[in-house]
Amino acid sequence: MPGIKIDQFLAAPDREITVVEYQDIFQTEAALKHGKFSKEYQDLSTVILLDPADLKKIGASDGDLVKISSEHGTVVVTAKKSEGDTKHEVMAKEGHQGHPGVGYMPASVWLNILGSTPAPVSAKVSRSQQKIYTVSELIPGFKV
Amino acid sequence: MTCTGCALLCDDIDVHDGEVRPACRIGAAHILNRHQVDPMVNHEIVSIDDAIGHAATLLTDAKHPMFLGFGNSVTETQEIGVRLAEKIGAGIDTCSSHAHLIDDIIHNRVRTCALSEVRDMADVILFWGADPMNTHPRLLSGYAYYPRGKNRQHGWEEDRTAITIDVRRSHTASICKGMHKIVFGHEAEFVDALMLALQNKVPKTVYDSKQVLKLAGTLKKAEFGVIFAGPGLVESVPHDAIIRLMDRLNEFSDFRILPLHSQYNLRSIAAVKTAATVTTTDVATGATTNNTTNNTTNTTTDAADAREQQGVGTQTSKITLNSLREADCILCVGFDLISSLPQACDIDARIIIIDPNETLTAGCADVVIPCAAGGVDMAGTAVRLDGVEIDLPCIMETGQAGVGMPTDTPTRMSDASIMNRLLEAV
Repeated sequence: MPGIKIDQFLAAPDREITVVEYQDIFQTEAALKHGKFSKEYQDLSTVILLDPADLKKIGASDGDLVKISSEHGTVVVTAKKSEGDTKHEVMAKEGHQGHPGVGYMPASVWLNILGSTPAPVSAKVSRSQQKIYTVSELIPGFKV
Repeated sequence: MTCTGCALLCDDIDVHDGEVRPACRIGAAHILNRHQVDPMVNHEIVSIDDAIGHAATLLTDAKHPMFLGFGNSVTETQEIGVRLAEKIGAGIDTCSSHAHLIDDIIHNRVRTCALSEVRDMADVILFWGADPMNTHPRLLSGYAYYPRGKNRQHGWEEDRTAITIDVRRSHTASICKGMHKIVFGHEAEFVDALMLALQNKVPKTVYDSKQVLKLAGTLKKAEFGVIFAGPGLVESVPHDAIIRLMDRLNEFSDFRILPLHSQYNLRSIAAVKTAATVTTTDVATGATTNNTTNNTTNTTTDAADAREQQGVGTQTSKITLNSLREADCILCVGFDLISSLPQACDIDARIIIIDPNETLTAGCADVVIPCAAGGVDMAGTAVRLDGVEIDLPCIMETGQAGVGMPTDTPTRMSDASIMNRLLEAV
């Protein structure tokens, strides 16, 4: 059938990861400069840094949207290929290269939807065709 | 002028023609912040008087009120807030993971020091669960790593060793001479391994024993060591384990600890609560007690001990949904509840916010009261993260153009005035 591809009927492969919080000065600046409802703040908050091996396993590339689901909630964010831990000379010597199975997300309401942070959260990540939801779409009863 | 963008309280700030120098990104954005909200009741814009009046009614009618935040308020506001809490029987929770450590520092359970001592004397600096390059950008250049100090004339090149202990390679780790990666679920195990290594015992652990022994060797040789404790340490390691580690380190060298929290006046609220006559409610248990002390150091220590014996704490490390369900009215002062706990939008409690900034909590709040920002358009005092009290002059007068500031700044009432009005009304 023209226009229909077989992979449309297959579930996107997923991967168990641990989501860990990090602080991003540019995101903090955007919250103060443009406000927490701004696109600038949302763009810097809805990001997950994934190890290249994890990106490959879920069939995603740098900049693709991914769905992250924990027992507390689900969010859609942009996947970024992590620089990994290999850049740092000391780390490389100590053998801490890459971080497969671990995703890093900036501290924000999108991360907190997944569970209590900064304690690491167990979640599943998979490629997504959905859009990134705004704060008001994520939280029931929320009025802007 | 002083920047209240973080707990470093940099006091060399100059504002000219709308530019803030030499503040960091956070400080400049904080001082020039124009994202303010209107006073609102039930999502309708009202006058500030109506908003305060409605808030007073909600607080008066509340049976289990709870106050959250105060870490981003000047000391004067905190004092009035504690009196208001006492008057209506509300509990106060700073919602900070650093609360226990600050309590330990205030009550001399761990050794601490001033930031000037770090600059002048520190030769081994640990950033543990902390990433100051993203949270306190001027810490490294002002005190902890780069500057030439009195006894550290060769600065970071020769005189200082900075080490990061964290779950990830942070930006701060990229400039440090060493990095130890924490394994999830084994955070306290790293402390135990280090304690053993300090005694020259080889730890059996998930961590590389050689690297832990090497770290212990570096720490033992320190003339003046400092641990900057970030959320990654205080959230994952029990505070008594931190005390034991500090005691062990001080058997071999001179080690101090400093909390690296973001709220600019968190250190003060712990002292204000301890020093006052406070009715405290533990949000986790709902238990209530009265503690009466005076302002001397000795009696505040006694009060803290008494609270511990009664099993009633004034500090909780993390706000949880269950703990909030006990409350029927929540007053957030400089604290964005919904950003930290989005599920709180569903709880059956009235929410009042007093905040200089636009927050996500405004989307769920019954009453929104905008206020002036401490150190920006409101003067006051604050306590830096090392315990030094700092005066906060106004960068701009409320409703007027300050030094080099734009003229479109709206008039904002100080949070101290708002708390005073509530205190009179309830």
